[in-house]
Amino acid sequence: MGKKILIFMSVLTLSLFALSTLGNAVEKAEYAGTETCKGCHEEYYGAFAKSTHGKKAVPDSPANRDGCESCHGPGAEHSGKGGGKGVAIFAFGRGTDPSAKASKCLACHGETKHLASWDIGRHKTMGVSCDKCHSIHGAKAKEPDVCYTCHKYIRTQQNKQSHHPVKEGRIKCSNCHEVHGTFGPRMVKADSITDLCFKCHAEKRGPFAFEHPPVSENCLICHEIHGSNHSKLLVRKVPFLCQSCHTRTGHPGRPATNFHSFGGPATSQKNRFFARSCLNCHGNIHGSSLSPAFDR
Amino acid sequence: MRRIITILVLVICLIPFSRAFSEEARIEGEISAVGKYIGVDAAGGGEAKFTEYRDLREHGGLYGRARLNYDAEKYFLNFKASDFGYDTQKYKLDGGLWGQFKYDLFYQEIPHNITFDARTPFIGAGSSILTGAANTNVATWDTFDYSYERRQYGGNLKLNLLKPFFFNGSFQREEREGIKPTGMAATSPGGIGLELPEPVDYQTNNLKLEGGYAKNPLFLSLMYFYSDFNNSNTSLNLGGITGLTPAISAPRLLSLPPDNTYNKGAFKGGVKLPFNSKFSTNLGFAKGESDTSLLPNFDGEVETRNYDFILTSSPVRFLDAKVFYKYYKRENKSDRGLQATVGGVDIITADFLDYKTANYGAEVGFRLPARLYLNGGYQYLTTEREFIKVGEAITDPDLVGLILPSNRDRTYFAQLKWSQLEFMDIMVGFERLNRDEFKAPVQTNKMYAYAAQERDTFKTSVDVFPLENLSLGFEYRHRRADYNGTVFGLTKDKRDEIGSNVAYAVGKIAKLYGNVDFGLIKFQPDLARTVDPNDVPWDAKQKDRTFAYGLGSEIYAIPNKLTFVFQHDYLKSNGKVDFTIDPALLIAANGLGGATQDTVDILHSEDYTLYSFKIKAIYSFTKSLAASLGYAYERFSYSDDQLNGYVFVPATTGTNGAFLTGAYRNQSYKANVVFGGLTYKF
Repeated sequence: MGKKILIFMSVLTLSLFALSTLGNAVEKAEYAGTETCKGCHEEYYGAFAKSTHGKKAVPDSPANRDGCESCHGPGAEHSGKGGGKGVAIFAFGRGTDPSAKASKCLACHGETKHLASWDIGRHKTMGVSCDKCHSIHGAKAKEPDVCYTCHKYIRTQQNKQSHHPVKEGRIKCSNCHEVHGTFGPRMVKADSITDLCFKCHAEKRGPFAFEHPPVSENCLICHEIHGSNHSKLLVRKVPFLCQSCHTRTGHPGRPATNFHSFGGPATSQKNRFFARSCLNCHGNIHGSSLSPAFDR
Repeated sequence: MRRIITILVLVICLIPFSRAFSEEARIEGEISAVGKYIGVDAAGGGEAKFTEYRDLREHGGLYGRARLNYDAEKYFLNFKASDFGYDTQKYKLDGGLWGQFKYDLFYQEIPHNITFDARTPFIGAGSSILTGAANTNVATWDTFDYSYERRQYGGNLKLNLLKPFFFNGSFQREEREGIKPTGMAATSPGGIGLELPEPVDYQTNNLKLEGGYAKNPLFLSLMYFYSDFNNSNTSLNLGGITGLTPAISAPRLLSLPPDNTYNKGAFKGGVKLPFNSKFSTNLGFAKGESDTSLLPNFDGEVETRNYDFILTSSPVRFLDAKVFYKYYKRENKSDRGLQATVGGVDIITADFLDYKTANYGAEVGFRLPARLYLNGGYQYLTTEREFIKVGEAITDPDLVGLILPSNRDRTYFAQLKWSQLEFMDIMVGFERLNRDEFKAPVQTNKMYAYAAQERDTFKTSVDVFPLENLSLGFEYRHRRADYNGTVFGLTKDKRDEIGSNVAYAVGKIAKLYGNVDFGLIKFQPDLARTVDPNDVPWDAKQKDRTFAYGLGSEIYAIPNKLTFVFQHDYLKSNGKVDFTIDPALLIAANGLGGATQDTVDILHSEDYTLYSFKIKAIYSFTKSLAASLGYAYERFSYSDDQLNGYVFVPATTGTNGAFLTGAYRNQSYKANVVFGGLTYKF
């Protein structure tokens, strides 16, 4: 039995290896030289020359190798045929396979800390190539607009009345997210959501003598981090958010209706559907040194 | 003083580059000054909302911006500054030697305005001691602003001198000062509510060091992160307050966030394997500590550990695969001396949460003919929690005191993307989550975050590029969760979100762009109590609807000379809560005397409309000098039954008793801004 498994694994391994070499037999092609490229693509060349890629001082930069052809591949045939988009040249156009485009960039940038985790990231899995966000020849991509190109519903959330100051330009998507791949959930720059949030909100880190479990486990239980209609980025309005967990006997389980608001009869306001509702008393909701009810 | 130090540091950083300036280099920059006249029609709440993260002072001012870029063959240096002297000022200097090292130094301020002209009957808003007598004559109360500001400064350094070895270091300090709203019970339990100004005077230091080796096939990195948080105030003392019924006893303290430190070390590694495979790992250990003397003493200590192992492989061109295992454990090792003996039984006197998660799964992606990419997978996650609530016996923590369930999550997902046509991408995806509970207390009322649920998420997107100069995008996301084991608690949660955008360039004459977004978020909390005669069975459906659109254009009336910019945005949110309560129970004994099915419904649940437009003309006199002139209007109309008809003192005693400060009230505003400025580029 063991021998059969060994034979099977060997055959499988050899088959996979053979398959992996398919398509690698590239014909030896000739290079045209950067000056030839510049002749037709002067605008692109100008941007290349100004960029880090065009710096001779950067070891292994395209400027120190084959210039434009470091990324686009040998161009003599392309030039000989009179050019044309994708004619005998590797073009980073929409028609090219994302993984092929990414592999061009990773040939150099894969050996950096920056892209060491690209293989495990969601963007790689979803077939996002580098040129989806980076314009190599043009102006730098600007956050958050470049992110909204795909994450349109995040833009919707970000425009809501309660939001982090992203559209005001005070923080960026990349302050929280590592778009090039990370071990953390939702591509955040931390091993857990709480670790991430506590970097800026260290006052909520505790450890507190009296912990509110959601705070210690996952801020997203209560907060809609990209934007919400409800103050303090809450997923639901207080008191309904609180009542999604606290349904027990007494005031947590009683209805908090419009009848209990400032507009209701004064005698009926006892369920405190007014002002900040539960938070009028339970102000230390992220943790307290004095009270398990977070009211001190 | 700190600003002067910052500027000095920036200047000193330029000195090493003095040699570089003799080299042939490209220097360019920009200086601009914009004068703004601002008129705001709003109460204190609206004025704060208008300037929530901005410093747009009434009647305006002069706002400056500068940029300098120096680029030589070997060196580079960039400097950016904006809003000099305002609460939003920002400075950044970055430079380095191409391919050798990079650094940056920064300073920025971020305001957060919540409500201006709030009121309190107590003396000492913004300090850690409140005194005075509670009274109902609001006109005599002190006023103050709920507002705080973050001042952040620090620097980053990235060294690549010894490639393939690398080293990165960063330091950031944040100082936060101001006042934010908080609340406490005057007496516990059942005391009246006191909304109070909480002093904010924090300092946080973050230091991160990372070094490693990156050369194929190996990546190794060691990281150390240190953070400390210091709060100048350990508590808010209300001991001197009089006039409350029942009277509060001194000392009556509201605890404020305790000082804490956080240390984390992590190792990350990756190795490339045969068959285009890679093994990656991440091992981390962290310890957080705090101390406070309010109890009188509490030493907090929490440790977390995480181990992640991921194997990815693309052995053949049409296949991507990933298998992973992730483990995370949080262990609260805080001072367990917080125990007491009641009736001969040791009980817990402080709540501590321990939990651990173990997550494993696999994912495969197939590149199919016609440029179809099919991706799918499965993951299994267990979350085991131990949370012992105050007052529970500690002798049997796994059963008696356990009030949070543990969970098993099984997630299945699949996604199909089609890119055969060069002018269109289509994607559809589906995810199913089945969550079970285990080690759960037997009860019919559930906590939604931990309750068993079945959740389906469907999403689709279409991006179309019919012309070189036209792009259209559409995204739809639907999520539905059924908390099928919940009798009392949140039973359903459904949301639909749509986003779309369009961009069109009319030759070299104009650019037009816009977006239409629609979101319907619908929750159905279903809560009821029948055991306690004081409670009323009830049911509520909460709905939030959001609709938004934006239109924008840039019209090049005289190419390279005169440009008109127009932007208009609109966002409307409509929220309501529809209650169902047995009419027979709408009686005084239940606090619902005189109520009807109509008067209990909440018709305005954070309803708001945000309407804005901006027109701007830019005229370029030369390639270097340009002038701009414009007008902007913004209107925010906010209505919420919880804040409408605001009363600072609903009652002085009893269960509806409260002394409030006006936090978040009157948030509506209208604002007009006229602006004009000059920009000089070199």
